[in-house]
Amino acid sequence: MTIEAGIEGRAAQATRVAVSVRNVDMSFADFHAVKDASFDLEDGRFLTILGPSGSGKTTLLRMIAGFQKPSAGEIFINGKPVSATPPHKRSIGMVFQKLALFPHMTAAENVAFPLKMRRFDATTIPERVQRYLDLVHLGGYADRRIHQLSGGQQQRVAIARALVFEPDLLLLDEPLAALDRKLREEMQLEFRRIQRELGVTTINVTHDQREALVVSDEVIVMDKGVIQQKAPPSATYRTPANAFVAGFIGVTNFISGKVTATSGDAVSFDVGGSEVTGTWAAQGPAPSVGASVTGALRAEQVRLASSEAELSGCQTTSRGVVRDAIFEGERLVYEIDLAPGTLLRVFDHDPAAHKQFAIGDNVAMGWNARDVLTFPN
Amino acid sequence: MTQQPLGKSIVIWTMVALVLIVLSAPTIVVLGASFTSGNIIQFPPQGFSLQWYAKIALADDLRSAFVRSLAVALICTLISIPVGTLAGIALSKYAIKFERTLQIYLLLPFTIPLIGSGIGLMLLFGEMRILGQIWPVGLACCVINLPFMIWAVMASSASLDPDLELAAANCGAGPISTFFNVTIPGVMPGIISGSLLMFILALNEFLVSLLLTDARTVTLPVQIYNSIRSIITPDLAAISVVFIVCATLVIALLDRLVGLDIFLKSK
Repeated sequence: MTIEAGIEGRAAQATRVAVSVRNVDMSFADFHAVKDASFDLEDGRFLTILGPSGSGKTTLLRMIAGFQKPSAGEIFINGKPVSATPPHKRSIGMVFQKLALFPHMTAAENVAFPLKMRRFDATTIPERVQRYLDLVHLGGYADRRIHQLSGGQQQRVAIARALVFEPDLLLLDEPLAALDRKLREEMQLEFRRIQRELGVTTINVTHDQREALVVSDEVIVMDKGVIQQKAPPSATYRTPANAFVAGFIGVTNFISGKVTATSGDAVSFDVGGSEVTGTWAAQGPAPSVGASVTGALRAEQVRLASSEAELSGCQTTSRGVVRDAIFEGERLVYEIDLAPGTLLRVFDHDPAAHKQFAIGDNVAMGWNARDVLTFPN
Repeated sequence: MTQQPLGKSIVIWTMVALVLIVLSAPTIVVLGASFTSGNIIQFPPQGFSLQWYAKIALADDLRSAFVRSLAVALICTLISIPVGTLAGIALSKYAIKFERTLQIYLLLPFTIPLIGSGIGLMLLFGEMRILGQIWPVGLACCVINLPFMIWAVMASSASLDPDLELAAANCGAGPISTFFNVTIPGVMPGIISGSLLMFILALNEFLVSLLLTDARTVTLPVQIYNSIRSIITPDLAAISVVFIVCATLVIALLDRLVGLDIFLKSK
């Protein structure tokens, strides 16, 4: 069983729909933030809404939380429409971008706050607060004030506060955006661990594509207020629905040209004099000859060699001059002229094992037609 | 960091010293004069004695005027806390219709000369037949100084993360619980600094009190003024020192409660 089959197999066990967003629209005075968004999220799953700033992802999250009312459409939580329910009557825990911990309370008081507001039995509150502080590894920090805690510890208090009342749904509004990379990656795994341990349905919002791939069962990519794709992380990466998704996740080369021939899914197009063959990846029939198309080719799918003879396994080969070679530690990144005005970025993940090229070298590049995902331009 | 040239730092420090001397000169003169052993108010004082402090401690009219001043300051503060807090939060947080107009309206007490508001209040209170009591004086002090309270609360409120109230709602707190559990504690530094300021201002208030008080309700600054009209004696310096000590105590309290740095930033 492959890793992806394992991940998707686990998802198949959950079937009950926890959150259903139906044709939700959100317009501000001069800005159409969310356009006709619809998706279902099954119980216990971890969904990430990924998109650049201004894509409408935070607006969508805030509508689910109840801070904003959709202009049109309806949101269902556990089958019930919630538009008329104010935020404090919804069973939703949320971790805010700037955490929004109560500065005048201790860590334990912050975590106890939702229990008091939701009228939990007062005698059980201290025990439950301690249990959730332990869950986030902050058992010994109960009496610290918020400003006495480090950034990572504050994150953990915010998680405990969002989860302590066992909400139906957990929302994460880019809480990791402000952290440095190392701590961010540590907290991503921590979110994942806690989410699995408690099995709480989670919607995470981020602009960090790596985070989306690492933590999620499913990824929604949004752009300009429109949901572009909803798929498991591996499918989002391997079979992007359109050029935007292909470009937003991973390092992708875009090569554009006019179609010269088609045969089934295979589309050949002319890029500044050299012919590139790709695979039609968009919905609908293959384009006609002469149509303008864009091929998306991941930087790690291109192989390099001194001569074409060494690239016998590749369906397409081409030559180009190395314009830059950047050492990034775990990989070397080459920028190579494919055609006038078209630079190809190529990863070499094992530079010690291969011949290394220098700026100005004329090299052979090769790839397969299935790796050039071709979309209408 | 680069070292400042010597000449430049001498100029700067001389300026600072001059400003400090000018600012503190009245206080130092009054302080010195109050300890004189002579019979006329003068600086530097003749000898040293506490006789004038003993005298004011025994002077019934000064003592009761001081108590009335404290009462006025307390009444003013108690009225300004709820009014100024609510107004400050509302002005900084909510999109209110005519917000600009309202802000200018709240600034009006500053633009009208105190003598003008004093006469206005005197006529108004006279019509209402409430002159001759302490509480209208406190109310008047509150009216003319309220912008200070509103500003202090607005500054605190504006620096509050707007997500805090959403977080409270998300925790299950309704609007009223959110207000008392999150908003009020959040603006507490502004409320404390604003109300201590209101207290000092009302304690020291002179011009409006002059118009609103009579022999039964005279406050300390007015009482001192009345005494000056006859003869200036060192006991007035002594009572001024008591005043300064009160104000210093309030500032010390402010520093303990919210920290002076926060208070100064909120201005």
